[in-house]
Amino acid sequence: MSDKYIIQIKNLTKIFGDGVEIKALDGVNLDIERGEFLSIIGPSGSGKSTLLNLIGILDTPTSGTVLLNGVDVTKMSDKERSRTRNRELGFIFQYHHLLPDFNALENVMMPLLISGVKSSKAREVARKVLDEVGLGDRMEHRPNQLSGGQNQRVAIARALANKPSIVIGDEPTGNLDSKASGNIYELLRQLNREHNQTFILVTHDERMAAKTDRIIRLVDGRVAENSINSG
Amino acid sequence: MRPVYELYIAIRHLTSRRRQTIFSVLAVGLAVMGLMWSQALMVGFTDEMYSKTVDRMAHVTVEPKEDENYIHLYRKLTEDITHIDGVVGVSPVLAGAATFEYKGKNKNVAIQGIKVEAHDSVLHINDDIVEGSFRDLEVTPNSVVVGDALAEKLGVEIGDTIDASFPEANPAALKVVGIYDSGTPLDETIAITSLSTAQDFLDVSNVVTTILVRGDDRERAQAISEEIDTMGYPASGWKETNPEIIQTLKLEGTSNTIIMSLIIIIASFGIVSTLFMAVMEKTKEIGMLMAMGVPRRSIMIIFVMESGILGLLGAIVGVMVGAALAIQMGSYDYGMEVMAGISSIPFVVRIQDAVIIVLFTFLLNLIAGIYPASRASKLKPVEAIGRE
Repeated sequence: MSDKYIIQIKNLTKIFGDGVEIKALDGVNLDIERGEFLSIIGPSGSGKSTLLNLIGILDTPTSGTVLLNGVDVTKMSDKERSRTRNRELGFIFQYHHLLPDFNALENVMMPLLISGVKSSKAREVARKVLDEVGLGDRMEHRPNQLSGGQNQRVAIARALANKPSIVIGDEPTGNLDSKASGNIYELLRQLNREHNQTFILVTHDERMAAKTDRIIRLVDGRVAENSINSG
Repeated sequence: MRPVYELYIAIRHLTSRRRQTIFSVLAVGLAVMGLMWSQALMVGFTDEMYSKTVDRMAHVTVEPKEDENYIHLYRKLTEDITHIDGVVGVSPVLAGAATFEYKGKNKNVAIQGIKVEAHDSVLHINDDIVEGSFRDLEVTPNSVVVGDALAEKLGVEIGDTIDASFPEANPAALKVVGIYDSGTPLDETIAITSLSTAQDFLDVSNVVTTILVRGDDRERAQAISEEIDTMGYPASGWKETNPEIIQTLKLEGTSNTIIMSLIIIIASFGIVSTLFMAVMEKTKEIGMLMAMGVPRRSIMIIFVMESGILGLLGAIVGVMVGAALAIQMGSYDYGMEVMAGISSIPFVVRIQDAVIIVLFTFLLNLIAGIYPASRASKLKPVEAIGRE
């Protein structure tokens, strides 16, 4: 069964704050299939990003489990978590968070270097991925020499460089105008089809969400809607 | 081998914030330069002190056996000592007291009867002669060489004859055949004669009061004196006979090193504060590195490396500039006396000092980097990346 589901979330709860407690997630159950392209929506403070951070092993839950390929990530050591983030997960944030001191190519190479790939091989792979996101001619530019949309493409290339099984996007187009935003969506969709990677996107944009395979709507830390998009 | 991306990131951080990097390197460099320079001065000064004092005295002094006034079988003993490893000079000396009188002027002096060649091999007395010659002591019977100060006190010149007397001594008329200047207060009190003249005057035969020994290296004194001890005669190295020399030099060296090390520590803490700023500035970046799979340990390594590289660069620059400065100043002749009897500052740049200073500074900066680095490594990725 864990073959079908790449992510299985059981009874996941996250409480923030000491003193005044805020229940960001309240007993969330969710299974995600391999190769799915799904969106998580909901009002501000509904727990979308918290859920995403827990799936991305960037944070630890108060209770409950997250199984990634059948392995409980909440019980991992820092080293195992780092290794899993590096090999299995790609992150795209609202802001690109590229390393400002490195050019586009070097930024995309970074996850590969971290995983121990030789620099010449990493360069080759990074070039290919940058080509794929349409930035083949901007490789030597640093983030401050690129537009918002271009930087976001570099960030996507970086997220994909290590061929992760899951790509996580937290408002990946939230900082872009609607044209750039539409282009980025098309790019993600295309990559999803070509590589059969699982995409999980948190978004405010209902129109974008409507184009994904499945919509998870969170309200007050609970799953309020879990609907398959037919069209 | 796996590529060291930590070093790659650390170096890029340093080259990107060029101005902070240059200032940090300069701060450490200045402090290290000061330490290198003052260390070179200290070593040079110490060496100079040794050659002005220790190298002019006997490395080892042999005395009569307990309860005896004289060393009786000194010829045999001298012979034996000559064969000890590292001994380059052995001089039997008969010392006694005398009153010198010349044209109504009196002066109490210490008389030393020597064998000129042997004595020169231990104390290089020939270097100090300003008039006449020590060698004449051996050819002219009843002759004496006096210090310049003593000569002045008595008003004697070469060729004059001094009346020497003392209770229980055989009065003698000693002809001045030489005047020496050792630059020490002893020039006023010591008069040197041949061993036989001294023996006649003091009315003893075939005895000496001390045997002076020189080794090929002043640090060998201890070993030589221990060997002589086994021959049955009490011997002591220059460190035992003059403990104050060692203490003075050690004290000055230690306080100097402590002060300079403190300056380097302060400079290194300057690096800690720049590093803290860098960690604050790079919070988001650190969060992103963690998201990309950089473990906490590697985050720590990146920032410790940055501190270490700054320290190492500063140390190398500082040591090179400090050494160059010392060599430059050391070779300059000031044309006047800057220190007792020398006209240039005696800097000595030693490779081992440079290596120790570089290692010390590098290690210190690695240690100093640990705190900001551990702060960076303890950031929580979610909080570091932030929401906005």
